[in-house]
Amino acid sequence: MRLLKDQRIPWLTPEELKAVHQGSCRLLSQIGVKVTHERIARLLADSGAHSRGSRMCIPEHLVDKALSDTAKVIDFNAPDPNKRFTVDAAADEVRFGTGGQALYVVHRTADGWEKRPAVTGDLRQILTLCDQLDQADFVTRPVECDVPEEQMDIEKAKLFRAHCTKPMNLANLVHTKNLDGIIEVIGDQSYLSFIVCLVASPLSMDTSAGDKLLALVEKGLPAALSSCPQAGSTAPFSEVGELIQLNAELLFGIVLANTIRPGAKVLYRGIPITSDLYTDGSPRWCQPESIRRVAIAAQISRWYGIPCCGTAGVSDQGVPNAQGLSEKILSWSVMAASGAHYINSALGMLQQVMSVSPYQYVIDDAALRIVKEELTASPQRSIGDTVLASVQRAFSYFGTSLDEPSEQEMRSRIAHVETAKEPYDEAYMNKQIESIEKAVARESGSSIFMKGARKGLREGYLYTGESIPAELDLEKVRKRLASYAPEGGEIYE
Amino acid sequence: MSRKETVRDLEHSIIMGHIDSDDEGYDGMMEGTPGTMELVETALEEGIDPQDILTVFNEAMDQVGVKFESGEYLLPDMLASAECVGEAMEILEPKLAAGSGTGKGKFLIATVKGDLHDIGKNIVITMLKGAGYQVKDLGIDVPADDIVAAVREYQPDYVGLSALLTTTMIEMEHVVKKIREAGFNGVKIFIGGAPTSEEFARKIGADKHCRDAMDTIEKIEETRDVS
Repeated sequence: MRLLKDQRIPWLTPEELKAVHQGSCRLLSQIGVKVTHERIARLLADSGAHSRGSRMCIPEHLVDKALSDTAKVIDFNAPDPNKRFTVDAAADEVRFGTGGQALYVVHRTADGWEKRPAVTGDLRQILTLCDQLDQADFVTRPVECDVPEEQMDIEKAKLFRAHCTKPMNLANLVHTKNLDGIIEVIGDQSYLSFIVCLVASPLSMDTSAGDKLLALVEKGLPAALSSCPQAGSTAPFSEVGELIQLNAELLFGIVLANTIRPGAKVLYRGIPITSDLYTDGSPRWCQPESIRRVAIAAQISRWYGIPCCGTAGVSDQGVPNAQGLSEKILSWSVMAASGAHYINSALGMLQQVMSVSPYQYVIDDAALRIVKEELTASPQRSIGDTVLASVQRAFSYFGTSLDEPSEQEMRSRIAHVETAKEPYDEAYMNKQIESIEKAVARESGSSIFMKGARKGLREGYLYTGESIPAELDLEKVRKRLASYAPEGGEIYE
Repeated sequence: MSRKETVRDLEHSIIMGHIDSDDEGYDGMMEGTPGTMELVETALEEGIDPQDILTVFNEAMDQVGVKFESGEYLLPDMLASAECVGEAMEILEPKLAAGSGTGKGKFLIATVKGDLHDIGKNIVITMLKGAGYQVKDLGIDVPADDIVAAVREYQPDYVGLSALLTTTMIEMEHVVKKIREAGFNGVKIFIGGAPTSEEFARKIGADKHCRDAMDTIEKIEETRDVS
């Protein structure tokens, strides 16, 4: 799907983007990232970083060089040549794909819904399903499979090779020693890409992820560098503070990748979400303030002019329903309009990223088609109106309607996404950087961030709205799901 | 300041989650005023019996619990208060007469190998300390052998294992097996983290699955009641 330049939402002004960049560079040069991986520390030191205890401090000129070196165009090939595509950082082309690595499958039963642990057969079935979804441009490994860890990489590669004709994102590489085996099974490494969560927030490199990045970049494979801080626990509660930290973590990854191999094929994948500080600190993925922050991260990536991997559609709901559908539509629309090129769209996913449902895949495929149509049909319309139109059409498609209270609820969510609550000025940024520095210096940094959240919580930073209760008619979904069964084979009931 | 005022201020300071004078407290307005740490020192200097100070801690935390239950307090408020008590106990513990501490038990906790996440673990630690447990934190990315060695050295009543990733939760099974193989059959093993479940706890031989910090405390209490 191609968007017009005018459709991109300028969440931050160029001055504000520059201020975030400078804040991140200050974090990297003064506080640095904890690195306990000897080879990586040496590589960074040889390229001009300096160590301070176990932390590697990255001067700004290394960041500038890495941003300049990093690949701006990445090809995502596929077994079916008609399904290959290219991500060009300068273009406004958007690709949507599935998200990955759920533990459970939610099945429809005579009594409602039943959640069962995912097994290898589920991975096969869901890959078969994803390969047929019109709106999934690429497939990220959807569920875990129940094989011993040592065999996991090769087993999933075999299943992808047998059941996927689209670009393949294998998500997490379990063992680097299996990489050659994976490529051999797939037959062409240009079909493959991965996700690497290199830095654990705040600012600490995961040694094992470092090994994975080394292996992938040395082979010239594309990897989405992912960072997923949670405001109020692993990052400042403040939007400004969380974005500065997130950006520093991702810039560190970009520097490292381009130190390993200049021109590294990496995507900027920022997922700055919030913690549910009303209850248990769990992640709030699809809540309005998280959608806003993830969208701004995409804008930062576009400002740098590098490929952007977005994340959208991660609903908190445990079963397919109208609330989940409304969350996903808002999230997909905002993400696309923020400039992400390659979006892990959580198609089929439920309960954050813990479950998938065959029904939800089909629901999401239909809803995402509507979102794309609405985004391209009226480019001059505001994103809020586009979201509302999409929700109305999707509800109608599933045999229901958006009543007045639900429409009001959608408008409130949109307003929360669109409303800036903090200044991006120097004094405020300095305060955020100080809190990150304090948290990094302390073993249990999360308490610093949580305590800093108390005031903001009372000022309404976290959205508290109502659930949208409409009943979806899933008969169309059932029929469509049945139509995906291969000839002589079966797919989920 | 009279002793009565000191006790009143200390209780208020804990309820407001005001750990020290650098901290802004519940309402963001308390920076520069004495916090729990300073007030505990003052109370000891004024000769207030450490056992009475411990009573203040308990009464303050009871009030915080009521506020949390009613929705007036949110998670960070409760954690801030628990942190006040946990940190202040470091000062108070040596002053308490031998055997007169809280005596609730020792809890060893770690995020398993391969996993660097510590949000849940740190919340649990803060809450446990606030509730009067002695906690030994081994940190993140801890190999099974190091956990077993710590069990041997620290002799905990409970071991807590945390993992956030679907790819690292499987390490928990390895740790449970090693603890049992080393002969520590009496120690209760609790697991927690987003991908874990009751079913998974049963499968790997852990004693309890905990949804969150409050659930952990409730399950420890259940275990203590049974034993």
